[in-house]
Amino acid sequence: MDRIWAIIELTFRESLAKRTFMAFLGISTLVCLLFIFALNLDIVDGMESYISIFGQEVNERIYLDELVYNIEAGIAAVLFTAGIFMALFATSSLIPSFLDKGSIDLMISKPLSRFQILMGRYLGAVAIVAFNIFYLVIFSWLILSIKTGIWNFGFLLSGVMIVLAFAILFALMTFLGIIVRSGPFSLMITYLVIFISPWLIQRDVIYALLSSKFYGYMLDGLYHFLPKMAELGEITTYLVQGNSVPSWLPLWTSVIFGIIMLTASNIIFNRKNF
Amino acid sequence: MNVIETHGLTKHYNKGKIKALTNVSLTVPQGQIFSLLGPNGAGKTTLIKLLLTIVFPTSGSAKLLGKDISDYTSHFKLGYLAENHRFPEFLTARQVLYYYGKMSGVEKAKLDVKIPQLLELVNLGDWGDTKIRKFSKGMLQRMGIAQALTNDPELLFLDEPTDGIDPVGRREIRDLLQELRNQGKTIFLNSHLLSEVERISDSVAILKHGELIRQGTVEDFISIKKQYLLQIAEGNETLKNICKTNEIPLISQNGHFIVSVHDDAHLNHLIDRLREKEIVIQGITPRKISLEDFFIDVIEEKAEVV
Ligand SMILES: Nc1ncnc2c1ncn2[C@@H]1O[C@H](COP(=O)(O)OP(=O)(O)O)[C@@H](O)[C@H]1O
Ligand SMILES: [Mg+2]
Repeated sequence: MDRIWAIIELTFRESLAKRTFMAFLGISTLVCLLFIFALNLDIVDGMESYISIFGQEVNERIYLDELVYNIEAGIAAVLFTAGIFMALFATSSLIPSFLDKGSIDLMISKPLSRFQILMGRYLGAVAIVAFNIFYLVIFSWLILSIKTGIWNFGFLLSGVMIVLAFAILFALMTFLGIIVRSGPFSLMITYLVIFISPWLIQRDVIYALLSSKFYGYMLDGLYHFLPKMAELGEITTYLVQGNSVPSWLPLWTSVIFGIIMLTASNIIFNRKNF
Repeated sequence: MNVIETHGLTKHYNKGKIKALTNVSLTVPQGQIFSLLGPNGAGKTTLIKLLLTIVFPTSGSAKLLGKDISDYTSHFKLGYLAENHRFPEFLTARQVLYYYGKMSGVEKAKLDVKIPQLLELVNLGDWGDTKIRKFSKGMLQRMGIAQALTNDPELLFLDEPTDGIDPVGRREIRDLLQELRNQGKTIFLNSHLLSEVERISDSVAILKHGELIRQGTVEDFISIKKQYLLQIAEGNETLKNICKTNEIPLISQNGHFIVSVHDDAHLNHLIDRLREKEIVIQGITPRKISLEDFFIDVIEEKAEVV
């Protein structure tokens, strides 16, 4: 376990050496500092009598918990979209770079199975992204909760969802990275999968335009097979808002997609000559 | 005990179009320095990669430290310097040794003691906290050697260890390898040249076009033949015929002839035959055949292959 941990740690370090993650941590810190200094609330009986954002007084009376939930939902939405987008961008080279000659040779010469090596790398990438996301989620959650006294644990759960969504997409990037050994290519395909996910939900509308039933089945197949990012995004919002989630099915099928990608990656990686 | 055993190890790429290695069977006993020599593209790196399961054999099998190569637990006792190895550039020398040492299964407490010693050993004592990206080729190569030693391995694979290292550094590597051999470690060395490092080998094997063409001790190789530089006034054709009928290898080099004979009697026999044909001998000079020359002769197919 110590040996795999060394790979995870090394991957973590490699990512941290990249500016993207440092920038992300910087922005996160800035956002949290804003909450600390710019948001002032005077609370009376669960409704604030006075709110000031950036020193500007807000006169309308809003329910406080609604305000907190909305801010947190906003953070979660940004993380789920832009955050994952950036995280994929920053990790896209991790798999191809580790397959480089002179680097993978050395890892295989270590007392580790190929499965352990690949999983170490995968978990390392997920760990750095999880670290970044939880840094912002937990930090901002603590500030908002302490300031308002409203402790929304759903926001923490949304953090788990975002990391899970990334882990599923990174499984796809790992698979593509092993096959084509190109970061930009893996990234493009993964972005494409994210972009078509809202379209696939609305495939009923597209059916009408299709000339053959066959394409309809294909769309159905794609919908069921590919990770359902749009629906995962909705689930994340439900979690933050404290609403009950209508169906967890999109999550389970997306997790299965991730597992299939990881299994396929391992099978191919196990047989590869370097 | 044999630390390395291979049986008919074969690796063909592109559906047999590239024969990187064909039917190589060899054994390396414990405590030896074993050099695998051959020109670039001979298949030396392929052999090491097969042994370490970096590539998989087309056919044949092999054992490391008594275990089949597919069993990675033998890698606990193994060190490897890859050809053109690359360490993550954002790490310092110390961090490289730490992370790769951890991957070899060495505990942190042991590494804390070992890392400064290793850096000292490869003359990088003052560079421990410098990022690898600032290192020269020679320094990186020395880092690679230190890395291969973090787990105090019983078996060391060094692929072109003198690559990018100056003559002084080579001598230091030679001394280091001798020291390691004295500790009972086995060293498997790949090289396309024969610097002083390879000369200290206990055994040598020569690989060409993926096939093992020679194997033996360094002494075997040096004392194979005595060579003489022969100068004659005229009668080149006669000399060639005499050598042919007497099965004496003859090489023509810048107007001189080089003959290879078994011993003095053999040489005198040749002189008698030449004098019978009244060929005027202008000079006979013994030629010291260096291992280097011999190596080049073998791979360029000048010398006869026994
Ligand atoms: N992955 C590969 N695909 C195709 N050919 C390869 C591959 N790796 C090595 N070769 C070929 O196998 C031969 C032996 O290469 P190598 O073992 O690196 O030689 P050496 O280490 O002796 O210089 C070369 O002709 C090389 O081009
Ligand atoms: Mg080589």
